[in-house]
Amino acid sequence: MAYQYNGTTVEHDEEGYITDISLWSRELADIIAKDENIEMTDEHWEVVNFLRDYYEEYQIAPAVRVLIKSIKKSMGKDKGNNKYMYHLFPYGPAKQACKIAGLPKPTGCV
Amino acid sequence: MVELAIRNARTAEAPADPLEVPALTPGAMADSKPYPASAEHQEKIGFPGELVEDWKERAIDKLGDLVGKSRGLRVYLDSCVKCGACTDKCHYFLGSGDPKNMPVARQDLLRSVYRRYFTFSGKYFPKLVGATDLTEEVLDDWYSYFHQCSQCRRCSVYCPYGIDTAEISMAAREILDTVGRGQKYCNEIIGKVQTIGNNLGLQEKALRATLEDLEEDLEDETGLEIKLPLNVKGADILLVTPSADFFAEPHVDGLLGYAKVFHQMGESWTISSYASEAANFGMFIGSYENMRELALRIRKAAEELGVKRIIFGECGHAWRAAYAFLNTLAGPFDFLDQHYPIPQHICEYTYDLIEKDALTFDKSKNDHIRLTYHDSCNVARGSRMGDTPGGQFEIPRAILRAVCNHYFDMPADTIKEATLCCGGGGGLLTDELMDIRRKGAQPRMRALQQVADEHGVTHLAAICAICKTQFAKLLPEHGFEMDSIVSIHQLVSNAIVLDGQISDDDDDDEDDEDDEDDEDDEDGDA
Amino acid sequence: MLTITYALLFYLATLVLIVGVAHRIWQFARTPAPLKIPTAPAPVTQGGVVLRLLREAVLFESLFKANKWIWLFGWVFHFGLLLVLLRHLRYFTDPVWSWVVLIQPFGVYAGFAMVVGLAGLWARRLLVPRIRYISGPSDHLMLALLLAIGLSGLGMKYVFPTDIVALKAFVLGLMYFDWQPLPPDPILLLHLGLVALLMIVFPISKLVHAPGLFFSPGRNQVDNPRERRHLAPWAAKLETGGRS
Repeated sequence: MAYQYNGTTVEHDEEGYITDISLWSRELADIIAKDENIEMTDEHWEVVNFLRDYYEEYQIAPAVRVLIKSIKKSMGKDKGNNKYMYHLFPYGPAKQACKIAGLPKPTGCV
Repeated sequence: MVELAIRNARTAEAPADPLEVPALTPGAMADSKPYPASAEHQEKIGFPGELVEDWKERAIDKLGDLVGKSRGLRVYLDSCVKCGACTDKCHYFLGSGDPKNMPVARQDLLRSVYRRYFTFSGKYFPKLVGATDLTEEVLDDWYSYFHQCSQCRRCSVYCPYGIDTAEISMAAREILDTVGRGQKYCNEIIGKVQTIGNNLGLQEKALRATLEDLEEDLEDETGLEIKLPLNVKGADILLVTPSADFFAEPHVDGLLGYAKVFHQMGESWTISSYASEAANFGMFIGSYENMRELALRIRKAAEELGVKRIIFGECGHAWRAAYAFLNTLAGPFDFLDQHYPIPQHICEYTYDLIEKDALTFDKSKNDHIRLTYHDSCNVARGSRMGDTPGGQFEIPRAILRAVCNHYFDMPADTIKEATLCCGGGGGLLTDELMDIRRKGAQPRMRALQQVADEHGVTHLAAICAICKTQFAKLLPEHGFEMDSIVSIHQLVSNAIVLDGQISDDDDDDEDDEDDEDDEDDEDGDA
Repeated sequence: MLTITYALLFYLATLVLIVGVAHRIWQFARTPAPLKIPTAPAPVTQGGVVLRLLREAVLFESLFKANKWIWLFGWVFHFGLLLVLLRHLRYFTDPVWSWVVLIQPFGVYAGFAMVVGLAGLWARRLLVPRIRYISGPSDHLMLALLLAIGLSGLGMKYVFPTDIVALKAFVLGLMYFDWQPLPPDPILLLHLGLVALLMIVFPISKLVHAPGLFFSPGRNQVDNPRERRHLAPWAAKLETGGRS
């Protein structure tokens, strides 16, 4: 199980989450997004970048509420809400956006 | 049949019967199976990384070992008379029609092997008594169908001998783990709790940041400094709550609710990062040793922080593991204040305050909600709240009625001890099992539709992290908003009147804004 | 020869029945229950548990909640069988106890009730697809065996009467090791042969389900895990290694 692009091979698990976060690239994100039927826009990137920054600091994805608060600050109230997040990432911001951002899947009762 | 006739007698417009029995569709769910645990996840919690060469002998040995160690398992495997009382009781059968999802048929997957190797009749007359050899196909069937049981115990209520399929499916999963065929979802999570302290893998630093962020939200909303304390030595109360309460929607709102109640009462309380998980997935895989390891973390946290009480947040299987097992696994808790139940449920805590008239509520804050309550299976049939049997049904309802003006129960054969599992319990809350989750949720969704039609119900409250996530995912498929699943303490949070809180009149505009945001934020995530 | 065969058969059957059931009970009793798992809501006192078990044993409470037809047929069969067994005490006591005399007329009706109950259960096993799916050969054979015993018994009562005075002498002879001749009526021999078979099969089959109820942790445990620590001996050994 691996993503292939430009002669690079990046392993992923059964669900498409890459197993080595250091191998992530913007190019790879586009490929993962395509598999998820998502066309990456600036708004998508805003979320993905925030997730990556947060992960770098805390080794985990942020709570959905924390993500939304940050997006509200950067993109305004119209976009900083859960509905808009689901508009961007229909399978849920935590799981789908994490996958594209190269983060591990959040586990547990979530 | 009698009940069926009564139900069918309803008018044609009546919504579909929640418990309608489907036609048998053999093999309908044969392809449903969870992702296997990796070698790393297996070995971390004491199981072989892959299917061992002598799996057959080891599986049979393990079965014998378990039967010798658990009276329940032995009695349940020996006593079934195939009366059929349970055949229409499992939500996964009702949703899928797969006959192997009938509780007795699920049990028989293990029972037939038990008979073959451990009973006189099965050894000498296997065909007559339905005893089967343990083969790879049987092992595959176990892996598939024992991961289509949420261990909700609904069938055990109706069995004339109290045969509990949950016990049988736990045993089967432990045998599977022992031979190297574990399930990824549960086993990865158990490993995370053992190293990090919670299902999510939320480290102390991240947990602290999250809690501080939520404290800001509380201050914005109320104008009060409501704390979510972490690792505070000498606090009176240790709150152990599912880590989903720190992460997911609508779970977070429940956590804010607990914090508001503690704040109002002036309690000294704390969360522990070391034991930042109420759920005990060791139970799902039937592993006493793993369950004990996780339970001991809670004891250790309580000892090190020097608390006097332990209170559990809203979490279904967790409450069973806490109420019924914690004392066994990690007791005796003689170092805690014996004046309080050990452990205590957050609903017991809040209910006591309501009974004492210690809290004030503005119920009109929940007037946009017409509410019903989903009894989470493991709370309903595996535990208790309060002093009397059935307190686990009455206490949550009493809280809801105290904070909400419009409350309606779903049909009687789908609540309380007859409650239906949400469809995601018992280690099935993972995306690759979405098909069986969706099917298992159908009876509950039909019951909800009934009260929606009859009473205009808009929201469903639950006190289980799994239920909340499962419903947030599936309610939109049934025409409900994602945020129509709510925590009990979310409703408490909406209605509670805090001393010194910003009132509506003082700060009308901002408050309105906040309300809007809250509604958006309540949307679930899965 | 016939008498000796049947006499030995009944000694054997009695031995198998008693030893087999005792063994099963001993197995249940010595196996520890590691965790508190009563099906909630559960009684919080020992007295409450006794009542719960009584309601289960006498009224089939859980089965009543589950399915009214199975409950009806099951209850009618079991209590028919109970009365029939009590009625048969007249063959084992001399003089016959007065309460056994009193129930004789009811015992006859009970024989019919037993057969009706069995027929109803068998009909469900054949006609309801769910129950047909879970039924194995032995499930049908057990019903056939019980039904044959009931029908042969009723046959002797109403169609082919047998010499019950001689039969009673045979039974008492078995009990006091003073063998008396068994009347050689085919239907009686059939009836007794099937009963002996039932006694032998009983402990090694699902028929021995009654002890299961009383040992079922879901039904026999007191709901008090917070108040009283429950610990199985094998689990206690984990603790001697020290807490991790």
